[in-house]
Order: sequence, then C-alpha cells, then structure tokens
Amino acid sequence: MSAGPWLRRILLVLLAALFAYSLSDVGLLETDRLQRGVQNTGRFLRGLFPPAWDVLPDVARAAGETVQIAFIGTALGLVLALPLSVAASPAITGRGVALTIRLLLAAVRTVPALLWAIIFVVAVGLGPAAGSLGVAMYSLGYMGKLFSEAFDGVDPEVLEAVRGTGLGRAQLARYALLPEAANQLLSQLLFMFEYNVRSSSIMGFVGAGGIGYYLLGYVQTLRYQELTTALLVTLVVVLAIDRLSAVVRAAFLSGRV
Amino acid sequence: MSVHLEPATESLPPAPHAEPAVLARGVWFGYHPRRPVLRGVDVTARAGEVTVLLGASGSGKTTLLKLIKGLLATGQGEITVLGRSSRAGGRPSALDARVAYIPQQLGLVRNLSVLDNVLVGAMPRIGTARSLLHWFPRDEIVAAHAVLQSLGIGNKAAERVLSLSGGERQRVAIARALLQRARVIVADEFLSQLDPVTTDEIMTVMHQIAAQGVALVMTTHELDVVTRHADRVVVLRDGLKALDCPAAEVTSDSLARAIRQ
Ligand SMILES: Nc1ncnc2c1ncn2[C@@H]1O[C@H](COP(=O)(O)OP(=O)(O)O)[C@@H](O)[C@H]1O
Ligand SMILES: [Mg+2]
Repeated sequence: MSAGPWLRRILLVLLAALFAYSLSDVGLLETDRLQRGVQNTGRFLRGLFPPAWDVLPDVARAAGETVQIAFIGTALGLVLALPLSVAASPAITGRGVALTIRLLLAAVRTVPALLWAIIFVVAVGLGPAAGSLGVAMYSLGYMGKLFSEAFDGVDPEVLEAVRGTGLGRAQLARYALLPEAANQLLSQLLFMFEYNVRSSSIMGFVGAGGIGYYLLGYVQTLRYQELTTALLVTLVVVLAIDRLSAVVRAAFLSGRV
Repeated sequence: MSVHLEPATESLPPAPHAEPAVLARGVWFGYHPRRPVLRGVDVTARAGEVTVLLGASGSGKTTLLKLIKGLLATGQGEITVLGRSSRAGGRPSALDARVAYIPQQLGLVRNLSVLDNVLVGAMPRIGTARSLLHWFPRDEIVAAHAVLQSLGIGNKAAERVLSLSGGERQRVAIARALLQRARVIVADEFLSQLDPVTTDEIMTVMHQIAAQGVALVMTTHELDVVTRHADRVVVLRDGLKALDCPAAEVTSDSLARAIRQ
C-alpha cells in the first residue's frame, strides 16, 4: 500500500505548487490588499467595543428562536431520517431498495442548509417556519447517512441469530437493528442538534428566522457594537447547547437513563 | 433444576424411530467456486440426542451449521431439516422458526432486556403491530418468565444483556431458542467462553431439553465435552467427514487423531 519514496516526493512537490498557485489566485499574495486588510480589521475590532446592551432583549429573543429552529428542524429531520435509514439498510430491505434510498439521501445532502432555507422561504414565506424546514431537510440528508452507517456496523451475527427466529422485517429492525445501533444514533442525533444550532444562527441571512437577521443587519448597517452583543449571545447559546448535549450524552451512554 | 418446555413442544414426544431431525446428504459448499469448504458431507442428527461437531479451525463447522439453519444454500446435495428439504441450486430456504441458531457470540441484542431478548423467540407468533408497540400477549410473557425461571435466571429478566455474565448470557440464548419452540438447536462454539463448572451446568440443561425431543447440534473445541456430554460425534477434516460414531465409542486421544491426521 505504501507509495515509493519518489512518488511520495513528487506528490509533495505537486501539493506545494498547487498551494502556492491557489494562494496567489485567491489574491492572498497582493501586498497592498493585505495591508489594507490589516488596517480595516483593526478599525473593525476597535469598533466592536463596548457592546451595545440596549439591543439585548431583541437579540436574546432572536437567539431563542434560533434554538427553536434547530430543535424543530432536528426533530423533523429525525422523524424522516429514522425510517428512511432503516429502509436504506440492506439487512432489512435488500440491496436494491437500500441503494435507491441511499442515492436519494445523497441527493438531499448535496443541497446546503442555507439553500434549503431559501427554497422554503419561497415556498412558505419569510420567517422561522422556512428555517425549520430547511434545517429539517439538511438534517434528513446527514442523519440518513450517519444512521445507515451505524446500521451497517451492527454485528451481522446478531442480525442472523434474530432473523433465525423467523420474525418479520419490521420486527427485526425494531428488536435488533435499532437497539444495537441506539448508542451511536443518540450520539449522532446530539451532534446534529449542536451543528444545527450553529447553522440556524445564519438562517436569518436569507430571512428564514433567528438571530442571523440581526447579525447580517448589524454588519450591513455598520452597527458593530450591536453586532458584538449579538455575537456574544450566539456564543453563550452555542456553548450552553454543547454543554447540555454533553450532559445528556454522558447520562445515556453510562446507562443511567 | 428442571427445564420445562413450551406446552406446544411438550405435546410432541420424542419419536426415536422417526426420520432424523437433520439429514444432510452429499453436501458441497464453497464461498468461492474454486475453493470448496465442504466436499460431500453426510450428517444426521436425531431428536433427543446431542450431536457434537468437531474439526480443526477452518474445517467448515460453522458453515455446516449455517447450512442446516438455512442461512446458506447448498452447492450440491440435499439437506432435510424437520422434513423440509432444501436442494442444491435453490435459494436459502425461508428461515424455519423450529430451527434455532445460536452463533458463536450468541447473537443476543445487548441493549435490550433479558425478557425482550427471550420474547424475540415468540415474535413470529405475535402480530407486527403489537410487537412494534412492545405490547406482548400475556401468555407469551408468562411463558418467557417461566423459561427464564427454569434456567435459573428468573431474577435477571429486567436486566440488560450487556450486564450479564457469560453463563447467564448462554442461558438467555437458550431461553430464546426455547420460546421459539425449537425442535432443532444448532449452536456454534457453544461452550467456548465458559468455565468447566458452568459448562457442566449448561450441558445438564441441554440434555434435559434434548430429552424432550429436541435435536441439538453443537460445535466445540473441547474434546472432553464429547466424552462427557455427547451422544454422537462427527469430525470434519479437509471438507470431508473423518469420523461419525456414537460418543461412547471414542476417547479424547482417538478424537485428537481424527481431527489432526
Ligand atoms: N463469509 C465467508 N467468506 C469466505 N470464506 C469464508 C467465509 N466464512 C468462512 N469462510 C472460510 O470457509 C472455511 C470454513 O470456515 P468455517 O465454517 O468458519 O470453519 P470452522 O467453523 O470449522 O472454523 C474457512 O477456510 C474460512 O476461511
Ligand atoms: Mg467456526
């Protein structure tokens, strides 16, 4: 498997050349532009302080909406992803069906969350409903993939032994596939929720609800002190959610719940 | 300790002169077309008997058990299990609930309770909707508890399998097979993870189960299991049967020779 020393050297040189070429192509080698960038960044950073606390109530309400979007989106995504990923398991439905559903999930996954949100803004109008549906579709694509990988990892011996009792497919899924993969599913569900809280905070960029509306608005109107408040609130929410999900994860995986 | 089987099982007394429960004739099988694992094996296993399958690692013991269970389809030859025949070229026969399969690692669902694992054996008798809702018929729950009780782990019903010892897990796998009302139990490396005392306890239980008209086919690496607990012994070597005789006629030495040679 290991490449010869020459091949490895050639690959390294190619990689370095590609890096240098791309660096100049994206404009990171233009010194005057970099100089301007440093100055602008300095002015921007100084403008961020002190935070403007008068917008806190609005921003906090929007942050709450962000968490709601993530929560609803993750829950809807779960409701869709669970049956679909079971159906995407060859042990339950056979290769043909499983492959078809996997392709479908891959297609859902190629659309980024923000684009789903735009699609739903067009469909159901501005607001958190569009954001929730966007997050749901994105979660479906990803949880569908993560869940089917968890199902693929289930010990085939357990599936054979349980199938050997003569039970049906739905029963096999309910009493072998799901419980054997349960810890992994939970872990991935929590990961998805954490991820969705982050991605929901930019749903507002396209009018799909949450704190993103304020983040974008403050940037565009150069209200950097208000922006600081919004960023701090986002940070607190993200950290709190990470902490919460760590607690839930520990409680479940230690078998206490 | 005495093991009581399901009523439906007890109503079928052992019939010593009937057809063997498992009858394999001229069975060929290979995972790759050019490398046969079994090359024309004949095996019979009778109700009421403990048939032990021996052979060096890789000699095809697990493969033969999977063929009997119907998880694999024969390349050539015929396997008749409880009167149901599967011939070469056919698909693996639909899995027969009357044949219980206990794989090497037991195939229990670790995250489920002992009771749920045992009730899996009753699943084909319970409607899909009810079982998905975890709403099991009263009599099946009573039967599951009774079987666990008779196997000496009645107090473990609510525990998750992952918290049990090796011997306890073994009993859960047996209980599942019993709730399945199995007439044939095929068990792979059945005693491999047990200490000698637990081995004797489990085999005592298995003899009681066999005595009620069940054919037990098991593989093992422990030669003294044959001399102590088997009724019949079959040795596989190089895809062929090297020995097939009543266990009373062999010694550990003659077995070791038959396996290696
Ligand atoms: N799923 C499989 N795919 C390919 N070869 C296999 C598979 N399972 C077993 N074999 C091969 O078949 C032979 C017999 O294996 P097995 O029946 O597991 O033997 P035993 O149980 O006696 O150790 C071995 O050479 C093994 O490598
Ligand atoms: Mg084996």
